Amino acid sequence: MLRILPAGFLILLSMAGGVAAQEAYPTRAVNLVSPYPPGGAADLTARPLAPAMERALKQPVVVVNRVGAGGAVGTQFVSTAPADGYTLMITVFSISTIPEADRVAGRKPRWNRDQFVPVARINADPTMLIVHPSTPWKSVKALVNDAKKRPNDIIFVSAGPFTVAHMAVEVFMQTAKIKMRHLPTTGGGPAMTALIGGHAFVSALSTGAVSPQAKAGKLRVLANSGYKRLAAFPDIPTLKELGYDMEVYLWTGIFARKEVPPAVVSKIRTAIGQAVKDSEFLKASAKMQMPPDYLDAPEFKTWWDKDSEMLARAIRNMPSPGK
Amino acid sequence: MPKEFVGPESDKLLGANLVPETLNGLLAGFAMAFTPEVMLYAFVGCVVGTLVGVLPGVGPLAGISLLLPVTFGLNPVSAIVLLAGIYYGAMYGGSTTSILMRIPGEAASVMTCIDGYAMTQKGRGGAALAVAAVGSFVAGTLSIVGLMLLAPPLAEFALRFGPPENFALLVLGLLVLAYMSSGSMTRSLAMAALGLLLGMVGMDTMTGLFRFEYGLSELGDGIGIVPVAVGLFGISEILISAGQSTRVDVRAPRLRELLPTRREWRASAGPIGRGTLLGFFIGIIPGPGHIISSFVSYSIERRLSKHPERFGKGAIEGVAGPESANNSATSGAFVPMLALGLPSGAVPAIMLAALMIHGIAPGPLLIQQQPQLFWAVIASMYVGNVVLLILNLPMVGLFVNILRVPYSYLYPSLLAFATLGVYAVNNSVVDLWIMGGAGLLGYVLRKLEFELAPIILGLVLAPMLELSFRQSLAMSAGNYTIFFTHPISAFMLSVALVLLLLGMRSTFTRAEGTRALASLEPSASQAQKGNP
Amino acid sequence: MRSPTIDQVAGSVLAAFSLLVLWECRKIPFGFLAEPGPGAVPLILAIALLAISIAVIAGGRAGRRFADVRWTEWRHAAAILASCAFMALAIERIGYRLTVLVALVFLTSVVEKKGWIAGAVYAGCFAFGTHYLFNHVLGVPLPQGPFGL
Repeated sequence: MLRILPAGFLILLSMAGGVAAQEAYPTRAVNLVSPYPPGGAADLTARPLAPAMERALKQPVVVVNRVGAGGAVGTQFVSTAPADGYTLMITVFSISTIPEADRVAGRKPRWNRDQFVPVARINADPTMLIVHPSTPWKSVKALVNDAKKRPNDIIFVSAGPFTVAHMAVEVFMQTAKIKMRHLPTTGGGPAMTALIGGHAFVSALSTGAVSPQAKAGKLRVLANSGYKRLAAFPDIPTLKELGYDMEVYLWTGIFARKEVPPAVVSKIRTAIGQAVKDSEFLKASAKMQMPPDYLDAPEFKTWWDKDSEMLARAIRNMPSPGK
Repeated sequence: MPKEFVGPESDKLLGANLVPETLNGLLAGFAMAFTPEVMLYAFVGCVVGTLVGVLPGVGPLAGISLLLPVTFGLNPVSAIVLLAGIYYGAMYGGSTTSILMRIPGEAASVMTCIDGYAMTQKGRGGAALAVAAVGSFVAGTLSIVGLMLLAPPLAEFALRFGPPENFALLVLGLLVLAYMSSGSMTRSLAMAALGLLLGMVGMDTMTGLFRFEYGLSELGDGIGIVPVAVGLFGISEILISAGQSTRVDVRAPRLRELLPTRREWRASAGPIGRGTLLGFFIGIIPGPGHIISSFVSYSIERRLSKHPERFGKGAIEGVAGPESANNSATSGAFVPMLALGLPSGAVPAIMLAALMIHGIAPGPLLIQQQPQLFWAVIASMYVGNVVLLILNLPMVGLFVNILRVPYSYLYPSLLAFATLGVYAVNNSVVDLWIMGGAGLLGYVLRKLEFELAPIILGLVLAPMLELSFRQSLAMSAGNYTIFFTHPISAFMLSVALVLLLLGMRSTFTRAEGTRALASLEPSASQAQKGNP
Repeated sequence: MRSPTIDQVAGSVLAAFSLLVLWECRKIPFGFLAEPGPGAVPLILAIALLAISIAVIAGGRAGRRFADVRWTEWRHAAAILASCAFMALAIERIGYRLTVLVALVFLTSVVEKKGWIAGAVYAGCFAFGTHYLFNHVLGVPLPQGPFGL
C-alpha cells in the first residue's frame, strides 16, 4: 500500500505535467536537485548556476538538497520524479558508481545510467595526488617504486568508499600496478585531517582543499589527475604525462530523466549554454577555484560513457572487502 | 587592515609578544565588529538562530545548512558572522523547548530535557531557562577566550588523534557514562545496547555496503539522531500527557518566580565552570562534540552531587552543566577550523564551505593571511554572546507564557512544529516515520520506566565507535596491538581498564566504591582543578 | 504461576529483537578478525544485547508486574500517533499547508472536541503562518500540493 500509493500519484502527476510541458516550457519554477548537502561540490556549482539559468529561462530555478547515502537518495528521487523537465539534477560521478557498486555487492542496482539523459557538464576538476611532507617520496616514480617494494603497506586515505579520492587512487594503483592500504573516512575534511595528522600518507583530494595546505607546507603535491597542468600548480605534472594513462575528475553535470520530451531538454541545454557564459557565474566559479569546463549534451554523453566505463572497470577490479 | 599580523612568527600565538599581539588583534576585531553592518548581521544571525533553534528538531547544523545560501551575497566577514550567530543562537534556542515542553530543540539538548522539564513541572521553568541562558553565556564567552589564546597549539594536539586514539577515547567515555544510570545498571545497559544496534543501520563507511536499510536509501546515512531524540522525548511526552484525564497543570510562574534563587545560582556555578572546560576540550576533538559533552557533563554532575537522587527530578545542576558544555563545545569546534582549516564536525565543515564561496581558502595560514577575518570572527562571537544573553533573558518571561496556552491547543501545535522541523532538515518523509516510531517506542518504554537517554547516546556513539575500531585495524593491517603502541591510546585504555576494575569492585562490594570512583574520573578531576 | 514482571516482559522483547538482528546479520559479510567486515560489529552488539536482556530477565523476578501498568491514555495516544502517520503520508502528496490543516483540525475539533470553528481558525492560522515564515522569510521551500497550496 505504502509503495503503490506514491507510484500511482506520481504517474498521474507526470501525465498531467507531460502535457503541459510540451507547450511553453518553462511556465513555473524549475527545481535543480542536488543529492549533496550545502557546501558540497554539486551544491557549490548549483548555487551560482541557478540564478544564471534563471536569467536565461525567465523562471525561478530553485536548488533543492535531497541529501543522503552518498548521493543515492537524491538520484533516486529524481529518477522517480515527474519527467516534465521541472525536476533536474546536478550531480557528480556517483550517478555511475553507485549502481556499479550495487552490482558488485550482488544487489539490484538502485537505478541504471540509461534512466537519465546527460544535459551538460558544468565543470571537471582533476584531483591532486598528495603525500604527507615527512615521507621520502618527492615524485610519483619514487612512490610507485616504494609501493612495489612493499605491497599493501603504504596507507592512503579517502573521503569514503567510491568517493573521488578513493576512485582516483584506486585507478592510479590499477594503472601503476601497485597496492596500497585503504583508510576510508567520512568526508573530505576528515580525510585531509588524517593525512596532515600523519595517520595516512597518500591521498587524492580537490584543488580547493589542497592548495591552502600545500602553500603552508603541510603536504606535498606529486601530480594531478587531469589532462593538463593547472594554472595554480604550474610545476606539478599530470599523471598522464608521467606515463600513467589515466584521467579522473571531480566533475559536475546536469541530468534529466530519459522521458523528458526532447523539446524541453533542448530548451534547458540552451539555457545552460548561456548560463555558463554568464559573468556573475564566471566570477563565482573563479572565486571557488572551480572553473567551468562546459560540455554540451552530445559531447557530454560520449565523455560520460567513457568516464563511467572506466570507473566501473576500476570498481570491478577492486579487491572485494570483508570476504 | 593591521598589517603587523602578517609575519612568520604570528602563527605561534604562544610567544613573547602574545599579549600585545592578541590585544591588538582583538581591538582591530572589535573595531570591525562594531561597524553597523557587521553588528546588524551578528544580531540578525542571533535572532534567526534562536528562532530556528526553538523549533524542535532544527538544531545548529540544520539551521546553518538551511540558511547557508542566504550568505552567498554577503562579504566574507558578514557571512561568517551571520553563520556564527545562527550557530550560537540555535544552541541557545535549543534549550527552550527542552525545558518547557520536553521536546529537544536539537540533539545536544537531550540531557537538558530531563531535569529542565522536571523543573518546569515544579514551576521553576523560568529559573531553568535563566540558568541555561547564563550558563551558555559564561561558557560561550570563556571558551572564546580559550579559542583566542590557545587555538594553534590545541589544534596541533587535536591532529594527533587518529583512529586508535579516537577509539580509546570513546571506550573511556562510554565507561565514564556507564555510571550515569540512576536506576538499574542492566536496564540502562540494555537501552544503550539497543541504541548502539540502531546506530548500525545505514551505509558501512569502510566498504560502502548498505546494512539493514531494506531498500530505503534514506536510511543510508543511518537512523537520524534528531528524529529519534524528538520522538523519544517530545512525542512520547505528548502521548503520555495528552490523554491524562486529570491533567497535571503545568504552572505558569509569576514574575518573581522567573529568576533563580540565590541557592540555585550557587548550585549552578560549579556545573557551569566544569561544563565550560569539559565542552571546550571535547569540542576540539573531531565528532559530534556538543552532543557528547552534554552527556558527559550530566553524568559528572550527578556523580559529584551530594544528592544524586535529585537528578531527574529537577536538579538545576542537570540543566546548568550540559547547557554550558554544549555551548562551550561549539567554540571548541572552531579551534581546528580557524587554526588549520580542518573541520572537526559537520557544522565547521559548512562554515569552511561558506568561506570558500567567498574565495577564502581556509588553511593553516588563515590567521596570518586573513587576520582581520579571524579577529572579526572572534570579536563578533563575544558580541553575539552578549546579544544572545540580552535577547534571551527577557524572552524567558515570554516563553514561559507559552505554558498558559491550553494544552488541547498547545500539543497539536507542538506536534505540527515537530513535524515541520524534522521534515525541513532533510526533506525526508522517512525521518517523520522514524520520529513517530521513536515516539511510540519512547511511550512504551517510559510506561515501563526505562531510561531513554542511553538510547540516544548509543545511537550517537555507535557509528564513531565502529568506524574508529575498523579504521585502526585497517591502518595496522589487522594488528590489534595498534591500540597499545600509540601512547595516547594506550594511556586512555589503561585508565579505562582501571575504571572498569574499580567499577566491578564497587558492584560487588556495593560500598563506598562508587564515591571513591567519582574522584578518580579523569575528566571530573581535571575539571575540578580548573574550577577551584 | 504469577504474572510476569515488567523486566521479564521487556527483557524477552529485547532478547527477541536481538535474535532477529542476529538472523538478519547472516546476510552481511562478517570479514575476518583482522579485517572485520560490515557484519562484524552488528553481530557483536546483537550478542551483547542478547546477553544483557537475559540479565534483565534474570534480575527482574521481583518488581512491578507487567499487568499492573495502566494504559489509560491509549485512545489519545493512538489518535496522536495516527495523525503523525497521516502527516508523514500526506506531506509530500497534498503539500504542507493542507496536511497540517487537516491534522490540526482533527486533533482540536475531533479528539479534543473544541468545536469546528475554533479548530479550523486555529489550524488555518498555524498552517498558513508557519508556511509563510518558512517559504518566504527563511527561504526554505516546503512541499506544495494541488491548487498551488
